[in-house]
Amino acid sequence: MRRWAASCLLPLVAAVLAGLAQGADFGGTNALVGVMPEPYIALTNWMGPWIWTSNTFDGQTCQLWHTFEVPDSSSVTNARLVMTADDEFTLYLDGRELGRGVDWRELFVFDLTPVLTTGKHVLAIRAFNAAIAAGVTFGMRVNLTDGRVIELKSDRTWRIVPDTVKRWQTRTRAAEDWLPATIQAPLNGKPWLPPWPVNVIGMSALEPISLAFWQTGWFQLTLGSVCGLVILFSLRLMAQLALHRKERWLLQQERTRIAREIHDDIGSRMTQLVLQGEVAQCGLEEGSATRQQLGQICEEARRLLATMDEILWAVNPQRDTLRDFAAYVCKYAEEYLKHTQIQCRFDVEEQTSPAVFNLPQRRSLFMAIKETLNNAVKYSEATELQLQIRWLGERLIVVVQDNGKGFDVAAVKPDRHGMTNLKERMSELGGSCVVASRPGQGCRVEFNVPLERPRRGLLGWWSPAK
Amino acid sequence: MSSHKTSISSGLPAPKPAKGASSPELEARRRLKVALVEDQPKVRESWMTLINSFSDFVCQCACATGEEAVRVLPQERPDVILMDIFLPRMSGIECTARLKELLPHTQIVILTAMDDQELVFLALEAGADGYLLKRTKPADLRNALLDVLGGGAPMTSQIARRVIESFRQKTKVQDESMHLTAREEQILLLLSQGFPNKTIAEKLDLSVDTVCSHLKHVFSKLHVSSRTEAVVRYMAAKTPPQKRS
Repeated sequence: MRRWAASCLLPLVAAVLAGLAQGADFGGTNALVGVMPEPYIALTNWMGPWIWTSNTFDGQTCQLWHTFEVPDSSSVTNARLVMTADDEFTLYLDGRELGRGVDWRELFVFDLTPVLTTGKHVLAIRAFNAAIAAGVTFGMRVNLTDGRVIELKSDRTWRIVPDTVKRWQTRTRAAEDWLPATIQAPLNGKPWLPPWPVNVIGMSALEPISLAFWQTGWFQLTLGSVCGLVILFSLRLMAQLALHRKERWLLQQERTRIAREIHDDIGSRMTQLVLQGEVAQCGLEEGSATRQQLGQICEEARRLLATMDEILWAVNPQRDTLRDFAAYVCKYAEEYLKHTQIQCRFDVEEQTSPAVFNLPQRRSLFMAIKETLNNAVKYSEATELQLQIRWLGERLIVVVQDNGKGFDVAAVKPDRHGMTNLKERMSELGGSCVVASRPGQGCRVEFNVPLERPRRGLLGWWSPAK
Repeated sequence: MSSHKTSISSGLPAPKPAKGASSPELEARRRLKVALVEDQPKVRESWMTLINSFSDFVCQCACATGEEAVRVLPQERPDVILMDIFLPRMSGIECTARLKELLPHTQIVILTAMDDQELVFLALEAGADGYLLKRTKPADLRNALLDVLGGGAPMTSQIARRVIESFRQKTKVQDESMHLTAREEQILLLLSQGFPNKTIAEKLDLSVDTVCSHLKHVFSKLHVSSRTEAVVRYMAAKTPPQKRS
């Protein structure tokens, strides 16, 4: 019996002694055990009990979460936050780290005045327990301009956030599975007995987060949309350009095809007609009516073929060069003036030019020159006519000058000699037509037409395969 | 009997009287032999009839393809060959070049349905001594043939300009004899400005005959130096569409 009693008593005594020893352990440097140092009492008045999750173990991380709101109608005059944790903590406000603590015996004070804007705020504490006891104590006081006070202490309204949740420091609403915190002990309760705290640490002043205007969400969104629109627009332009090029290429193909058909089909068959007509004439009597009529038919067919020569020249995309144009115009002039009393002289630019002289322009200019030659033959009574063709950079200059009797440009009605027509035609091309003449001094008509430069460069490779 | 104006469709200057054409004896004795190379049967027959209707010409031979012409004509030895530019397979231009090598003294006149100066010039470079539109009136045709046989050279102001250009581009040819002489260049320049042979002769204090012989010389040089190039350029250009056979 005695032996049994002794074996029970001994552990009891040991426990009491251990408890006393534990109590003595937390005395710190203060000789007064069991009493909080005076300066800290005011601070700790705001603070709530020690909270943690329901189960505690070594090496544990606990995430605590709470929200509060600063009403729109007022602003903050003063805001202070004091907390500590056994053993370490990191404090976040709206996802921004405010500070850390590593010793539960020290109180950490944060001045939140500069950073508390109106609206909802999220407090997040990540605490770490190294060994044995674990808990977080917290207190916050916000004074508003309209006299109200927001107080927040550590209590059961704080939620424990599971580890798997992402961006929990900025979540404004708690999920349903976030359990409320458990109160481990009152503020001065075991095992966090006074004399505690031993020190108060004022955390460094916080700068209000002011976003430069280019960092704000709205600005970035606007910029993003503007860039997006610009990109879309450029893509559209490029697509249009590609389409345009394709159309031009198709046009060239069509022109080649038309030239071929005129040549093969119409040209050669009509030539056969002419020849058949001539052969038929051979067998008839000279001077007979039928022979004469056949002769007329052949002549008409020849005139048609001459017209087709002209169309063929105009349509053939390979005749788009300046040199071809000069040769054609000179040849036409030579033939036209052959049977008249006007001698034709030519002065053609010798330099080759890569410029392209496209279909509508060259046809129009040719018609204008034709008309000018016509006028010269009909009215000028000249003996000599000079045709000058020169090109300089992006302009083509054609001068038709005769040594005829001339006329008074001012006196003559513009409609005469089809001058208005000429000028209109030229300005449609983006060119000009200048008529200069004086009685007895001949007449000089100058055409000035812009040329297209052949497209090269960056977008050259874009053109579809030819 | 020869007209003084150039018939433009042939691009020939004022034709000179052909040797022996005025003597009736000769005419009866010998008609000038014409060979025809043309693939379209109707056109070929029409031309044969027209040529045979001339008292001083006879159509000795008519070939349908360039290959046939190259095979047959060297033996036939015509006085003048009329060659269509568009032939199936071997082109008229290539055939001209070949025949000029085989028969250097035979005149070759190119025929074309539609008037295309670029093509005509290629043919001239390849060895043609003249060109004609197929639609030419029979009378003009006869004059043109007589002229080419008489030594006339095809020349319009545009052809003169192209000739100058063509020779300018041949600076890499080493042989000096293949370049134009100063006199020849002078004549060509005046021609390109539109002066007729007569006026040029007056300006340079020469006879019209001398001017013409200079031109003939220019053309033979052109033929020698440009023949192969012309054929190659023609193949490369593929400009005018191939005729339907």
